[in-house]
Amino acid sequence: WRLHTSSLLPCTRAGGWSCSEFDLKETRLIVYQDCERRGRQVLFDSKAVQKVEEGAAQKAEDVPVKMSARCCQGSVGSGSVSSHGSSSGGSLPHAKEQLPKYQYTRPASDVNMLGEMMFGSVAMSYKGSTLKIHYIRSPPQLMISKVFSARMGSFCGSTNNFEYINQDPNLGKLNATQGKNEFFLSLLQACSSRLLQGVAEGGPLRLTRSASFFAAHSTPVDMPSRGQNEDRDSGIARSASLSSLLITPFPSPSSSTSSSSSYQRRWLRSQTTSLENGIVPRRSTDEMFSLAEETCSSNPAIVRRKKIAVSIIFSLCEKEEAQRNFQDFFFSHFPLFESHLNRLKSAIEKAMISCRKIAESTLRVQFYVSRLMEALGEFRGTISNLYSVPRIAEPVWLTMMSSTLEKTQLCQRFLKEFTLLIEQINKNQFFAALLTAVLTYHLAWVPTVMPVDHPPIKAFSEKRTSQSVNMLAKTHPYNPLWAQLGDLYGAIGSPVRLTRTVVVGKQKDLVQRILYVLTYFLRCSELQENQLTWRGARGESGQVVDGRQIVTALERGEVEESEYVVVTVRNEPALVPPILPAAAAERRSPGPAGFAETLEGTDGRAPGPTPDKEASKRPEQSVGPPELAADGAWQPQGVFCGAEGSKNEAPEGDALLLCPCEAPGAGMRAGQPAADEEARGELAKKGPDRSAARPCPDRHSWQKPAGERVTFHIGSSVSPESDFESRTRKMEERLRACGQHPKEAARDQQVSRCPSRPGPGDSARCPQTRSCRGTAGDPGRGFAEDRDVRTDAAAGAAAGGPGHAAGSLSPPDGAAATGRRAPETTVGLGLEDREGPLVEPGGNRAVQQDSGLPAAASVPRGDANRKAHIRTEGNIPRNESSDSALGDSDDDAGASAALDWSHSGDRTDGALEVELPLPRSQSISSQNVRNFGRSLLAGYCPTYMPDLVLHGTSSDEKLRQCLVADLLHTVHHPVLDEPIAEAVCIIADTDKWSVQVATSQRKVTDSTKLGQDVLVSSQVSSLLQSILQLYKLHLPADFCVMHLEDRLQEMYLKSKMLSEYLRGHTRVHVKELGVVLGIESNDLPLLTAIASTHSPYVAQILL
Amino acid sequence: MNAIVALCHFCELHGPRTLFCTEVLHAPLPQGAGSGDSPGQGEQAEEEEGGIQMSGRGRAHSPAEGAGAEPGSAGPRKSDMCEGCRSLAAGHPGYISHDKETSIKYVSHQHPNHPQLFSIVRQACVRSLSCEVCPGREGPIFFGDEQHGFVFSHTFFIKDSLARGFQRWYSIIAIMMDRIYLISSWPFLLARVRAIIDELQGKALKVFEAEQFGCPQRAQRMNTAFTPFLHQRNGNAARSLTSLTSDDNLWACLHTSFAWLLKACGSRLTEKLLEGAPTEDTLVQMEKLADLEEESESWDNSETEEEEKAPVLPGGADGRELTKCPTDSSLLSDRGSWQPRKPTGFKSLRHMRQVLGAQSFRMLAWHVLMGNQVIWKSRDVDLVHSAFEVLRTMLPVGCVRIIPYSSQYEEAYRCNFLGLSPQVQVPAHVLSSEFAVVVEVHAAPRSTLLPAGHEDEQPLSKYEFVVTSGSPVAADRVGPPILNKIEAALTNQNLSVDVVDQCLFCLKEEWMNKVKVLFKFTKVDSRPKEDTQRLLSVLGAAEEDNVKLLKFWMTGLSKTYKSHLMSTVRSPMASEARS
Repeated sequence: WRLHTSSLLPCTRAGGWSCSEFDLKETRLIVYQDCERRGRQVLFDSKAVQKVEEGAAQKAEDVPVKMSARCCQGSVGSGSVSSHGSSSGGSLPHAKEQLPKYQYTRPASDVNMLGEMMFGSVAMSYKGSTLKIHYIRSPPQLMISKVFSARMGSFCGSTNNFEYINQDPNLGKLNATQGKNEFFLSLLQACSSRLLQGVAEGGPLRLTRSASFFAAHSTPVDMPSRGQNEDRDSGIARSASLSSLLITPFPSPSSSTSSSSSYQRRWLRSQTTSLENGIVPRRSTDEMFSLAEETCSSNPAIVRRKKIAVSIIFSLCEKEEAQRNFQDFFFSHFPLFESHLNRLKSAIEKAMISCRKIAESTLRVQFYVSRLMEALGEFRGTISNLYSVPRIAEPVWLTMMSSTLEKTQLCQRFLKEFTLLIEQINKNQFFAALLTAVLTYHLAWVPTVMPVDHPPIKAFSEKRTSQSVNMLAKTHPYNPLWAQLGDLYGAIGSPVRLTRTVVVGKQKDLVQRILYVLTYFLRCSELQENQLTWRGARGESGQVVDGRQIVTALERGEVEESEYVVVTVRNEPALVPPILPAAAAERRSPGPAGFAETLEGTDGRAPGPTPDKEASKRPEQSVGPPELAADGAWQPQGVFCGAEGSKNEAPEGDALLLCPCEAPGAGMRAGQPAADEEARGELAKKGPDRSAARPCPDRHSWQKPAGERVTFHIGSSVSPESDFESRTRKMEERLRACGQHPKEAARDQQVSRCPSRPGPGDSARCPQTRSCRGTAGDPGRGFAEDRDVRTDAAAGAAAGGPGHAAGSLSPPDGAAATGRRAPETTVGLGLEDREGPLVEPGGNRAVQQDSGLPAAASVPRGDANRKAHIRTEGNIPRNESSDSALGDSDDDAGASAALDWSHSGDRTDGALEVELPLPRSQSISSQNVRNFGRSLLAGYCPTYMPDLVLHGTSSDEKLRQCLVADLLHTVHHPVLDEPIAEAVCIIADTDKWSVQVATSQRKVTDSTKLGQDVLVSSQVSSLLQSILQLYKLHLPADFCVMHLEDRLQEMYLKSKMLSEYLRGHTRVHVKELGVVLGIESNDLPLLTAIASTHSPYVAQILL
Repeated sequence: MNAIVALCHFCELHGPRTLFCTEVLHAPLPQGAGSGDSPGQGEQAEEEEGGIQMSGRGRAHSPAEGAGAEPGSAGPRKSDMCEGCRSLAAGHPGYISHDKETSIKYVSHQHPNHPQLFSIVRQACVRSLSCEVCPGREGPIFFGDEQHGFVFSHTFFIKDSLARGFQRWYSIIAIMMDRIYLISSWPFLLARVRAIIDELQGKALKVFEAEQFGCPQRAQRMNTAFTPFLHQRNGNAARSLTSLTSDDNLWACLHTSFAWLLKACGSRLTEKLLEGAPTEDTLVQMEKLADLEEESESWDNSETEEEEKAPVLPGGADGRELTKCPTDSSLLSDRGSWQPRKPTGFKSLRHMRQVLGAQSFRMLAWHVLMGNQVIWKSRDVDLVHSAFEVLRTMLPVGCVRIIPYSSQYEEAYRCNFLGLSPQVQVPAHVLSSEFAVVVEVHAAPRSTLLPAGHEDEQPLSKYEFVVTSGSPVAADRVGPPILNKIEAALTNQNLSVDVVDQCLFCLKEEWMNKVKVLFKFTKVDSRPKEDTQRLLSVLGAAEEDNVKLLKFWMTGLSKTYKSHLMSTVRSPMASEARS
């Protein structure tokens, strides 16, 4: 057969990360030990090691390290050392020859500092392993360290090997030779603790964790249905620990069965990594650095107070972009780095243990060093490959998901390749076998075909993004990177298996085609990167220009009593200015008076039934933290209320104080549509100026004795001074035009309402009443004055009744005023709402205005609001044009939206936190390409690679060498941050037309094979055939793809049927299954695997 | 983000101290699992909120809480604290921010209330300021372990004219259990935290400069004789960060900033995850519900069953719509999980098969599958009803048109299931038609007809069922594969009712997928006959019965699906598939 190569296959590009910018050869390895008694010693520093060429060796003798160089030279014999060669798991090119010779130099000067960084300046008592990352600025370097407690060679009873080191005559001599070479000394100490003696050639190094790991890992969930269903003969007993790996349904709220397994996994993740109610250590903490031999019983009691740190230091490129690229890669792919670090650590352990068997010290050192250098070489190579490997440019599934525009072309391209493969390489069922294996192990496709139960009515009949998962991500953020990684490796079944697929073949083109097609079935979620901004979300009319913001502050003079204005222009403030409640917090703190007041307020409220009543009356409504009301904070609200009733510009003043950047927006929204434009223009300038003009020192404040500044943050690019006068005038005119009546009404309303409030026996209202009464005169005064009052209403009003002579007190806290707005409105709202029914029509207007105001006030409170606003706008069309959530007068929806927001869930709590609204946010999303979905689906690689989810390569030579070790490593050091039961590798060989599955659980008996041959599922075969036929019948590609999805869904449904059947059957006869369910035996592995994603018990029965 | 962000300080008198700490509280259960459209609104959100209060709060189990009304200052006793190691004043309740959309709350106190978290934060603080070494002392570092969590820490100095060395040492830390996420957030956190630090330092620098201007400490210190306890004696030795930055709202500001940081970092990465398309049955149900709602008529069918069987719909707009309208319960029970309550009725297909006998049942089932009219004549309305409920499970929802009980004959185009009272005359042409099957239910002469020992069948044993049709299905006829499979499933007693249901569901979906292809082929693309024949054989449905079945089932396709196909075919791209 031959392939048509007419079309250009969109295949691979050089990876997203280019290696050229960055020399991974510089990667440095340091091993350090920290002994309780002897302090710290470097056990290895790759920077201090130089490879010596045979010829050049003599030359190198000169300089500082003569001795050591000579040692190596002389001592490297053949024989005994090299015989240890190939056990390191890695490739050992020189296994036959002598070990490569290395020359040691003094460890670099920075090594002490690095040691300090690795271990910290104070010893930690913690016994488990610790992970650290440091960034070193110059030269730019990134260091990952893992610090382990050492498990010493308690070697069959012989004790204190390490303690004897110093007394070892041999060593003494060596030490002498080495002189001050601390490195060498400690190296020897570490390695020589056990001299050649009773050489028990152990198998692969014991992984200290392996035995206890699963047992110690107790999932914080009950395991349902274990025990009864457990069938000891069925092989389940063998993996008793497996059952703890089953994805157990965490008590999940989801009633939707759709995409349940994805959902469950993510929910579980968010729960297990939650910090909310204390922590659940998810892993055993006994990961140690083992210096003990395999044969040794690992008695934890023997753990010495000794730590070993393994560090890798990446030198970063000086070029900023290159540096950022690597950092991005490093941080986003950290699990892979860590996994390789663990591998390196294992190699070091092994080297340390085995070199003890070498009696001759220099030989021993040579052996040790070369082992470590080998391991480091391996590490460097792997990382370098990982970084630079060619990636599949357009993985089908991910691309289809993200770009809807070219979906048809994509389908066509995919289907063309797909059918081509079906037609041409399905001899011997090769392709069907490959697809069977992929569908069996890379299970993330299953959730993507699980039918949704409750789509919205007007649902498009196609797939859609999972809303439940989206919602989960919002309410219970989990780690999407992790989720994606799990999807890719197909680790979503139970027990958890981690799978990779390698396509081997000399024909690059063919392999690439296969890889391309497989990227449709190897599914994962697509990641988006969201940039949340809290400022400048509405960059209307240039208040915020270039992200800059003008901050105006009234600073109290240091010497004189007066204040002055400080205007600051800033970029992107990182400190989000809070919208403070009315001084509740501040007041409470300093003065006993304030405190008492609070208490009083609280007391007044607590017994009152009002809150409950309120809550039941309108659930989402908030009355705000009641003590705020108690503070009389609502009094300024009165002022506002009146003002608001009459004018457009009132909200502007309000908005001004609300939030630096959004104030103008808010103001505009608050205003009547007609007035918006001008109002908007003006307010930015007016605000600060006025407040500057009328600082509030005298206005003030029974609430807070401390002196403060008034700080107004104004989002304006223009000088606040500009043309202030004319604008003010205009504004006033307009205000006048708007009529005074409402204002009057409002005021009256307000005033009259106050006294009326103290309902007999209504204790809950007492505080408000009190404050209300206390300030009853103020609104009047406020209105009597000119409108300026409104402008700095927040400042003045929040500061308390302007009428109160507060001159004697320190200047009012303007910043507080800024924040005070929100709660005021909140309170006002609460009041308003409560009053609502009581108020006669005349007062209604004011009330409604009042309620509108908070809607504006709520603007900066967080993006939750957006929803509220949208809804509001939807309901009240006239607001749409003005983008106003501040309804006109009778905008109930606006009010309720605001109410909705300010609802304080903690009202009933005893000690209430002061509520501070979150700033409104805006999210800018972009596709994230630095993720596993884009990096682990690789193309045709020069050699086999361990981490990639999918890749092709020309020969299986390296694969054969490394596979077993890789699989074991994968199980022992899962990159997924959760225990896995099995590591699997699917190997499709297009030269031999074989598809085999290698797993960490079974050893292959046939040495010619890498794994077991795959049983071709007849479901898959028939699917392939029918797709091909449909395609040949010229059904359009996207329809064929739809049909393909339907067929995959059928498989899912069959697996449901299977799992239903297995429920209650502990023993299953394959034949019976076939007869009964119409499932053929060759479908069983596939369907069981699928079933394991939704019905964990299936694994217990069939495993 | 599942993290705690904290500001820590190395107090000259008391060592490392946690000053201020922002935690995230999530709703105990995610809301609206099935419907993301309308979070945070309505009653449901309210309940969620309530839920938080009750169980979400960590303080419920805080022992520190018992100590008094000082939740914010649980931890070191006051005597151990100076101005420098205090943030919120004693008695300050802390800060809280609600993110309504997500039901997440951000709470700040000086220390976490939860004892375990307290020690975690404490530990992280100590490590950040006195154990871990960061080159240059100011800068980012990551450390941690599985037991104490993982920490991103950024240390920095704040200018203080009164402090030793004129500066104080602080750190901002973020603690998570998920190291992968925390590490992947490093660049993000570094930038944000650095910016916060810059601003704090900027503020402090201003204060510092002002103070130095007013009263140069250096000179003063030079002049003062050294006293060992200078710092302790000096009332200002430990100044609060508030005074160092001269920002009285500093804590509120930090709360907002930390909350914001947590929010932004938590939503930094989101997934787009696809889920499977709804099945045709689901779509049809939805459409029917929508229609129903439009007409705002209630289907009188069986409202009684509704409460019991209406699927638990998550809150939100669609959920409410669904539950609001009194629906035909049967719409929601297509999967065959329907179990008639009435003791007299049929319980399942298997039950019906037992009652009718294999032969009669097969004939009846064949007619049902082919879309022929199925007429039940009986005095017992409930019985007829239960029969239809059972039989309909063989068909896609869209193919079922039931007139449960009528006083007159209804034409086949109106219904494929028709219940009649015995008196009603069925027209002769119908009786003789091969497109109809009649089941007559008579009172059994004696209760000998049914084998004994089936207690649960007793209620039906008083009846005798006669199934007749114009074209009786020959017993030896092979019949459509789907019928054979259904029969096989019903016959096998090893299969529970649930398995049979699943089995039916599978079979229906399998055939609906064929229907879809046929529809696309014939109705949308209007392909010629011979192509259609080829297609049918590709689908394994070339036989007459199958074709008939497919054609009938095509009527059960949802409007949504059909219109989708129609619209895509019109798009220019689709037709030029590969010419």
